[in-house]
Amino acid sequence: MKKRLIIASTLTGLLLVFGMVGSAAASGESLGKCSVDEYAEKFGAAELTPENISDAESIEAIGEIFDGCIEAPSPIIPEINEVIWGGGAFVVLLALMLWKGFPAVQKIMNERSEKIASDLDEADKAKTDAQAVKSQYEAELADAKSAAAAVVEEARQQAEVLRSDLQARAETEISEMKAQAASEIEAARERAMGDLQSEVADIVVGAAERVVEANLDAEAQARLIDNYINQVGSN
Amino acid sequence: MADDKINSYAQAILAVSAAEGNGTQVEDELHRFAQLLEGSDELKTTLSDSSVPAAKRQQIVEDLLDGQVTRTTVALISMLVAAGKGADIKNIARQVADLAAETRGKAVAEVFSVVELTDDQQIRLATALKSATGKDVEMKVIIDESVMGGLLVQIEDEVIDGTVRTRLKQLREAF
Repeated sequence: MKKRLIIASTLTGLLLVFGMVGSAAASGESLGKCSVDEYAEKFGAAELTPENISDAESIEAIGEIFDGCIEAPSPIIPEINEVIWGGGAFVVLLALMLWKGFPAVQKIMNERSEKIASDLDEADKAKTDAQAVKSQYEAELADAKSAAAAVVEEARQQAEVLRSDLQARAETEISEMKAQAASEIEAARERAMGDLQSEVADIVVGAAERVVEANLDAEAQARLIDNYINQVGSN
Repeated sequence: MADDKINSYAQAILAVSAAEGNGTQVEDELHRFAQLLEGSDELKTTLSDSSVPAAKRQQIVEDLLDGQVTRTTVALISMLVAAGKGADIKNIARQVADLAAETRGKAVAEVFSVVELTDDQQIRLATALKSATGKDVEMKVIIDESVMGGLLVQIEDEVIDGTVRTRLKQLREAF
């Protein structure tokens, strides 16, 4: 990564240098100097003044010089001095970049990478924690569901037991009521029969007593006593 | 077995009557007085009532029996009433009869009847009872109209019931 950074910086510096040189070649200062130099070379030591160029020949010559100077420099190969200056500036700039810029950028990038790694670690940790919480929550939810199911089952069993008890109790009460009713009916029947028998006995025995009393005269008493004595004596 | 107090009173009465020389008579009179008490609830209650002064109860006895029984019998019954034993006279009389009969080698047979028994009936009954129980008996006839007819004989703890009352009761129970 560092290599790619250096290569990119170098290419950027070269582009800047050649770009700046091109611009300098097209400036008016270079054109003037070129014209002066060409004029001096062509017409000797005569100064390039407005009086010297007043005639048509001079003007035409200057025009040609101008045309010659106006010709654009090579777009690829800059002037040597510009290459020197540009290269020096590039070297200085590159040195500054290598000395301060790149370490700073590297430090920033390292810090950022560390921060990103730390954030990723934290994110992983948070994810792990979240997974643990989720697992715990799911386990608790499962426990709660199991407990709820157990409570529901227990309640159902209790309800079933209660229902069975109530049914058994009701059946027992019904049986007891039936038995009691049957017993009461039987007792009432026996009571009625007893009362009837008692009444019949009273009637019959009362009639017998009246008959006996009416017939128990002295002779009958004597006969009863004699019969008793004979019966006792025969045993 | 008789109550100790009743037995003691009976022995005392037998001793006094023997000393007076009229044991059998006292025994019979005491028995008849006991039957009289059983037939009169009012007299029995009065003679048994401790709230009535003893002298008053004795006076009632003497007024009732004076001239009817021997003086010995009056004195003995008066003694029992004064001692608060009016309610026990029946048991005491029975114990006196039992003890007296025992001394004579006999048993007392209480005969409950509506009518008095003739001498012939008493002799035949005594013979029949001896045949049935193997004991010589002295009969104490008790007139009791509740038996309606026939006889009921009790010798010690044995009862021979041939009364019309019992037969009617059996008839009622048969229904």
